[in-house]
Amino acid sequence: MSLELVFQQALNGLSFGALLFILASGLSLVFGMMDVVNLAHGAFYMLGAYVALSVVQLTGSFWLAMLAAPLALALLGLVLEPLLLRRLRGRHLDQVLVTIGASLVIVDIIGQLWGREVRSLSAPPGLDGSVALIGGVYPVYRLFVIAFGVALAVAMSVVYRRTKIGMLIRAGVEDAEMLGALGVNTNRLFASTFATGAALAGLAGVIAAPVFGVQPGMDTDPGLLYSLVVVVVGGLGTLSGAVAGSLLVGPADTFGKVLFQDVALAVIFAIVALVLLLKPTGLLGRIRVTR
Amino acid sequence: MGGFAKNKLAEKRGYTYRLTRRQFLVASSAAALAACAPGAVTPSASSSAAPGKALKIGLLLPFSGVYAELGTSMRRATEFYLKQHDNKLANRPVTTIYADDANVTATGIAATQKFIDQDQVDVMMGVVPTPLAYGIRNAVHAAKLIFIDTNAGGNALTRDTTNCTPSCKSPYIFRASFSSYQISYPIGDYLSAKGTKEFFLAYANYGFGTESAADFTTGLKKNGGSTTGNVAPPLGNADFAPFVTQIKNQPTKNVYSFFSGADAIGFIKSWNSLGLPAAGYKMYGAGFLTEQDVLKEVKELANGAITSLFWAVELDNPENKKFVADFQKQYPLLPDVFTVQQYDGMRALDEALKALGGDTSDKDKFVKALEDVSFKSPRGDFTFDKTTHNPIQDIYIREVKTQNGQTVNTISDKIAKVTDPGK
Repeated sequence: MSLELVFQQALNGLSFGALLFILASGLSLVFGMMDVVNLAHGAFYMLGAYVALSVVQLTGSFWLAMLAAPLALALLGLVLEPLLLRRLRGRHLDQVLVTIGASLVIVDIIGQLWGREVRSLSAPPGLDGSVALIGGVYPVYRLFVIAFGVALAVAMSVVYRRTKIGMLIRAGVEDAEMLGALGVNTNRLFASTFATGAALAGLAGVIAAPVFGVQPGMDTDPGLLYSLVVVVVGGLGTLSGAVAGSLLVGPADTFGKVLFQDVALAVIFAIVALVLLLKPTGLLGRIRVTR
Repeated sequence: MGGFAKNKLAEKRGYTYRLTRRQFLVASSAAALAACAPGAVTPSASSSAAPGKALKIGLLLPFSGVYAELGTSMRRATEFYLKQHDNKLANRPVTTIYADDANVTATGIAATQKFIDQDQVDVMMGVVPTPLAYGIRNAVHAAKLIFIDTNAGGNALTRDTTNCTPSCKSPYIFRASFSSYQISYPIGDYLSAKGTKEFFLAYANYGFGTESAADFTTGLKKNGGSTTGNVAPPLGNADFAPFVTQIKNQPTKNVYSFFSGADAIGFIKSWNSLGLPAAGYKMYGAGFLTEQDVLKEVKELANGAITSLFWAVELDNPENKKFVADFQKQYPLLPDVFTVQQYDGMRALDEALKALGGDTSDKDKFVKALEDVSFKSPRGDFTFDKTTHNPIQDIYIREVKTQNGQTVNTISDKIAKVTDPGK
């Protein structure tokens, strides 16, 4: 590999990693706060992409889609949390099952409403070109994705560390029952956390669409598969874990796939296995005490 | 535990064992299915033997999973053909039974067994993924069930192979679609004969992709051509930038690729955003790279790509013109290549039944009648190769162009009567 090629692939890996972070951040947030592995996360991501598709078709605006899709998903999250998850609080397996069920229903509804053809979404005007970079041209959109991923991580970290909501979330992660005893309406807090997680999945659906495409099956691969890998590798339920996970998985998957293409599908799982072997809690995970 | 649980009621009524809940569910849902099937409710009016009795066709297609759209398209083609022919093939009213394989081989094998044992279908059609076609080959062969493959293109299904690995031909298996040889070898032969001899390969890393790349390479070598390297992303790959970056960093400008559906869209988009056309790279491929499902999404980004296939919606012959026009009267969309494959499968079956007077009772005669089928299809002249049961068909060289705002495959050349080399 020439140095130029390494640079270009590193850029590919970084932008892939940024997409993975956007994809996984919602899953990580919901897990950290509510102790729920939301297996409908991939379906939320898929729904976000399809909502974006319709918004772009109707209005022609990608930016509007970037607002509308997360909003629609937040509303869905606000409905689903009290309807399904609240009743099962503390019953982990049941919660996992109910999110699988929700994802099956959502994916089928998407098939009914939007059809089962392969679709795609173009990058918005202004970001659809290419810029000259070492080794030729590079798509502007992928640079935008990197910038957006960084901005989202910074914004989430600021909210997490410096705001009252962030404080409540941190407290909720620590001990939700105690938080309730202190007079915080945990039901509302949980519902809004779940809605935020869903909104982030929807946002990922829009932003990833010009790169990953919009098609049946996207809910599991790349949707749920990659977000689970990132969260597990990085460490369950922490923001820094999601960042670390996507920074490792993005470039590793990119280089792995081109260097060992005959075992490309196994590369990502080799990474997971290796990390879990060396650090069972993930790169930046903490040990959770089961109560 | 162990053995069948006894119960008093069962004993009194003289049953030897009690129905388990699972057995009950299977039996009752099968009964419900049978009741739903259109042919089953109306008893056959004819009193004579086989001719006139309803012909049962079992169609194994994916209606969920990544290939759902292909299954839908092929079901539409079946319904379209039957609508055009008064729901009859020759003199026999038709009952269709659809099963969803969901792109899972085990599910498809179970559905095939159901076609054989429970539905006792007269003919089986469909099958999209090659691994599934290979997976059901032995069951179909053992049951002497006539199976017309209307998509899966793996070479081995219509070839004589050592130890029947990974699969092999059967007298009862016909193919109305193509073998991967037919869409890959001729274009390799054609391009190298025209003087383009060096190619870099990019193909989806699964059975069918590697087979296509290998057949293309054989075609190239026939006229002294060669390949200089390859990239092989996994099937259903999410991000194509790393692979296109690899292509951009090697000197061979002509790239032969095998991708379809979402992979093709991802590949073509990355190809453009990373500036390969401007850097002088040229795209070639098996026809699925630039079929309508892909072109409607990538549009002019695919311009200049040269691909080979046995059909194109723009093909200029009277049968195709009529086929496309009639189809559009029924449905608000253009037919795709999967529609044609299934439609031709129905046509072949129809022609064979006509020759038999509708009598399917003698399997050997049925096979013979199918072997003798010959008709003008939207793709051109259609016959089965008598040794392999794979179609003998013309292969078209197509170039993607945007004309009057429409991005289409224009036919630039034809390779006549391509026969799979299977023995």
